[in-house]
Amino acid sequence: MLWWTRGFHLNDTVKNRALPKGRSLWQDGLRRLGRRRVAKVCFVVIVLYFLLAGFIYLAEFFNWQVGPIRWQEEVSSSYEPPSLQNVFGTDIFGQSVLRKMLYGAKISITVALCASFVSLSIGVPLGAAAGYFRGAVDEIIVWIYSTLSSIPYILLILAFAIVLRDKTFFGYKLTGITTVYLAIGLTSWVGICRLIRGEVIKHKNREYVLAAKSYGCSNGRIIFKHLLPNVFHLVIIDFSLRFVSFIHAEVILSFLGLGEATRPSWGAMINDARIELSRGVWWQMTAATAAIFLISLALNIFGDALRDSLDPKLKVQ
Amino acid sequence: MDNDGKLLSVKNVSVQFSTEDGIAQAVGDVSFSIKKGKTFALVGESGCGKSVTALSIMRLIPAPAGRIVSGRITFGETNLLGLSEKRMRAIRGSKIAMIFQEPMTSLNPVYTAGNQIAEAIMLHQKKNAAQAWSDAVEMLQKVGISDPQQRVGEYPHQMSGGMRQRVMTAMAVSCEPELLIADEPTTALDVTIQAQILDLLDDLQRQNGMSILLITHDLGIVAERADEVAVMYASRIAEVADSQRLFENPLHPYTQGLLRSLPRLDFSAKRLQTIPGTVPDPLHFPSGCKFHPRCPIGHNDKWCQTVEPKLKEVQPGRCVACWYAPGYEK
Repeated sequence: MLWWTRGFHLNDTVKNRALPKGRSLWQDGLRRLGRRRVAKVCFVVIVLYFLLAGFIYLAEFFNWQVGPIRWQEEVSSSYEPPSLQNVFGTDIFGQSVLRKMLYGAKISITVALCASFVSLSIGVPLGAAAGYFRGAVDEIIVWIYSTLSSIPYILLILAFAIVLRDKTFFGYKLTGITTVYLAIGLTSWVGICRLIRGEVIKHKNREYVLAAKSYGCSNGRIIFKHLLPNVFHLVIIDFSLRFVSFIHAEVILSFLGLGEATRPSWGAMINDARIELSRGVWWQMTAATAAIFLISLALNIFGDALRDSLDPKLKVQ
Repeated sequence: MDNDGKLLSVKNVSVQFSTEDGIAQAVGDVSFSIKKGKTFALVGESGCGKSVTALSIMRLIPAPAGRIVSGRITFGETNLLGLSEKRMRAIRGSKIAMIFQEPMTSLNPVYTAGNQIAEAIMLHQKKNAAQAWSDAVEMLQKVGISDPQQRVGEYPHQMSGGMRQRVMTAMAVSCEPELLIADEPTTALDVTIQAQILDLLDDLQRQNGMSILLITHDLGIVAERADEVAVMYASRIAEVADSQRLFENPLHPYTQGLLRSLPRLDFSAKRLQTIPGTVPDPLHFPSGCKFHPRCPIGHNDKWCQTVEPKLKEVQPGRCVACWYAPGYEK
């Protein structure tokens, strides 16, 4: 036998060595995300805002008498400048601006989350249906969103907010922030619908969709089980960036007097601060703006990092 | 046509695609039948309508552009073209399954191999997730994947092309279909893996007694694996024969041209022969016999240029569509 026909004889340790454990797109993305320190810091900031909002909900539910939910309390005389007792001073009623600012986080996070939910539950199914079925379904859905998106955003959202305000649906009266997040959600699904439609069109001609059909999957199953998981990372990226605009929309609506009237929100605080500024009372404006600024910045940086790490086509570094 | 021993019969099927430039006939008046437990090969150049024929059996022609305009596809006793979409879904996967050309893209990247095989099983059989999962492991074992316990939990991107094609095969045969359509299962693989996959299909065929519709443009594979062959050219079937007789004595000038253009070990030739000309554009097929512009006989024959020959039986079990084939009656 010639030496080179004998072949290789692997010893047992080489044969039995474990294959490296594979990672899914998500595991891979999260690992890449973990390497970015700024993104991690931003993530912590975002989590803190969410925890704060959650904590205020819990405190209200169990009636814990902690700072932020006692925002109505008069802690000092009106227009007290910032001091060690009142970090951001007091407003016209002598209420602590810090407490109002913290409480505002609950309103903003709630509005942004609910608006995301409304807008996702309209945009994703419509976009997927338009992209998957094409034809007449596509024409109708595209027509609806083109029409919606041709109306200036602020006007549209104001119109929705005014129309929905104090209406009763199924025995449930729409007040305050419910109106706000419905108005935001009903007007903001266009972007996500367009994104999903485009991605579904791209994916639906891939062979794995045909393969899924060939072993007997129904259309609904293909859309929800095969197509959406393949495009869903884009939805998450899009929403981490869109979340900010929802917070801003709430601020704008509250500022214009269409939002929450009875509880403090950042928009309402800025609205109050408009008149105060001329009297040199800057702290309420500063507190509200700082709160908005911090979460906007954190969400933007985190959203960008998330996109970089989850979208495989953008693998730069 | 009698139905004994025949699993699938395709009769006079035509498929059209409407494009912006007009209507393209992808499949025209195609008829053939597949016997139980046999391998039937469909050969032809790219774009001659092989894949569309396969997809029309599955009723998966991309709508609304493509449409089966006429014909009859009978599977066992059922007319597939008359079934509701729901009944058709029940047949796909359980009775007729398909393997695709591109193993790189025909597995869903977000699911593990096990997820996808288990899904195919659970769609057609009353099994819970745990049973389906253990079946998936068993299927992977059956298709010759080493270390199936580990591989079952892996994602497609962690596997090589050959392995993905095995997973794809495992998915397709997991419900023991009676007919397996293999649409160029080996085109994207290298030669050694090709042989392995084809051997695997042979083994599975022997175990389950299923029929295989093998779509390929590789005549070597046909000679080795197929029991019967249909040669397609420009949306039409040119010739149907059992593979031995086809290779020994091709009747259609297109088949003759194809066989002459193969390199042969027992024959020394300085240059390989080619068929002159190119495949016609499906939007502007030539009149008469679709092959006449490239045919040594037909290119200056008035009859071939104007009248299209139908597929006719010239010997028992042997059909051809050529006016000049021996035994063909004008």
